[in-house]
Amino acid sequence: MSAVAFKSAVDDAVVEELRAILGDGDRVLPNVSSRVNRTRVPAPFPVHRWGEHMPDVAVLPKTAQEVSDVVKLANRLKIPVVPRAGGTGLSDGAVPMRGRGGILVDVKLMNQIHEIDLVDRTVTVGPGINMLKLNEALRPHGVFYPDDPASYPCSLVGGRIGTGGWSLLGSRFGHTRDLVISMEVVLPTGEIVEIAEGGGRKLRKSSTGLTLKHLFTGHQGTLGICTEATLELVPRPETEFAAFFAFEDYLTAHRTTGRLTKSGLATLAGVVLFDEWKLRYLRRDDEAYIPQPESVRAVIAVAMYGRRAEVEPASKIVMELGRADGGRYLGDEISQGDWASRHDRYATPLHGRTQDGQVVPMSWHCEDAALNYSVLPQVREEWHAIVDRYIREYGIFDDWGMFAYTNGAYKPWADYLVEIDVGIWEQKLDETNWDAWVRCKREISEVSLKYGGSMTACHGATREGDAELVPTEMGSSWEVVKRIKRALDPNNVMNPGKQSMDEAYE
Amino acid sequence: MSIFRLGDQRPPEPQRITDDVVMRFEHVYEVDPEKMRVFPQQDMPAWDTHRLVAARWDHLDWMHDHFADEVLSTGLGSETMPEEEGE
Repeated sequence: MSAVAFKSAVDDAVVEELRAILGDGDRVLPNVSSRVNRTRVPAPFPVHRWGEHMPDVAVLPKTAQEVSDVVKLANRLKIPVVPRAGGTGLSDGAVPMRGRGGILVDVKLMNQIHEIDLVDRTVTVGPGINMLKLNEALRPHGVFYPDDPASYPCSLVGGRIGTGGWSLLGSRFGHTRDLVISMEVVLPTGEIVEIAEGGGRKLRKSSTGLTLKHLFTGHQGTLGICTEATLELVPRPETEFAAFFAFEDYLTAHRTTGRLTKSGLATLAGVVLFDEWKLRYLRRDDEAYIPQPESVRAVIAVAMYGRRAEVEPASKIVMELGRADGGRYLGDEISQGDWASRHDRYATPLHGRTQDGQVVPMSWHCEDAALNYSVLPQVREEWHAIVDRYIREYGIFDDWGMFAYTNGAYKPWADYLVEIDVGIWEQKLDETNWDAWVRCKREISEVSLKYGGSMTACHGATREGDAELVPTEMGSSWEVVKRIKRALDPNNVMNPGKQSMDEAYE
Repeated sequence: MSIFRLGDQRPPEPQRITDDVVMRFEHVYEVDPEKMRVFPQQDMPAWDTHRLVAARWDHLDWMHDHFADEVLSTGLGSETMPEEEGE
């Protein structure tokens, strides 16, 4: 079977038909600047062939019916459809595949709050709303939507659902998939369906039929477009507590991380372990770490949220555990300030260093594997060795260090989102350097798989360097994935080519 | 009445903190200009530096207030930089 959608079907007649569907010429954007601005995300991007990733046209629907009609048109003419929300993901879910173009469906205008239900504790929104803005509206009601990525001020609910987003507060409140109760979704063939646990738009648990909700979170835009979501509301936290501890070596910090995460404290929102490479990186530019003595080679950050009656006694246990094995407290000012800055890492100007120490602008690769606690020390060694080899050979990369962050929703004790952050001097990219980066990326991913991990805990395996390894990671379930994709998207129009899903049509 | 004079806005000479970092105002760190030869450091008037630092603290305070009603403190200072405790 060959059913790969192709770009050449987008012509003036298609643009006119899109204008007729949206009924508003201003929301159909075939002009170059609108398409250029919707081509990439902050992840490292092959800027030397930017044009090859551009969509043919961008549209800004306001209703599920408009999305549905656009998708039906795409099916009739076999045109790729690429959903996009904030475009802040550090992988390529919202980036058109090279040479395929297509219709980019930008959901930013679907940013309404449809209902705040304080009785059954839900809020129903469009996919284009941002969590910060949503929480500003919720605050007068004493409730909170606790999905908190490092892109909190700029990412949007629809993208969080599409990528299966990960939250800084996930250990306490759950991640995006745990916080979405139900959705309205436009399927790849254009039908509008309600997706929940079973039936019931506001039910958290059901055993009826199949549990479809998880299938429609984290598919990277390959199974449809969310047009409305009913989300969890939690009581607004009364008290926040953050504590950072310094260690002289990584392994001691690793042991202490294990003790903290296994403490059973229910208000624990997250525990983060920074390694010595991360400390070296922070010492260059970060005011909290520049003055730290050389003996600070690893740091643990702990954050808690809840009622004061819970957080205050728990904070004493955290202080005891954090310092039981040589950890030294960084103090209230640094702990509180550094924690607050973590809600907004996208405000950080991105720059790295050349091998001779010169500052140059760099984009940010965020490897975001999911790995078990037991393998963190060995993965760390192997990842840094890979990046170091490419730094020395190509001179356009920079090792920004690693951290491991509690990953299990409500269960912080066993697995971690593990990042190695790599700076890439994009202005120096050409085919040779880009190929080197893709090889580096693939080697890093292969280490994650070797140690029984997953390549991505939050951004999705949609980049060159990891997309081709999705079948390997999925193993015996890959056949199931392909059957689902083919059944729901017979013409392969919905974000085609992502995660190696073209294999479903071979 | 104060009169704006560019000359008055020049920051003081930097003090070296580490191999990579200098400091012109207390606790306000800058990349060593010698490390910025590929992309030269811009000429930053003193008032703009102070504005940026104040805005940063405003932003962090805003984030605390956005996520919880109160921030619990231990009352403890740094245990890694004891020399600052006596200041």
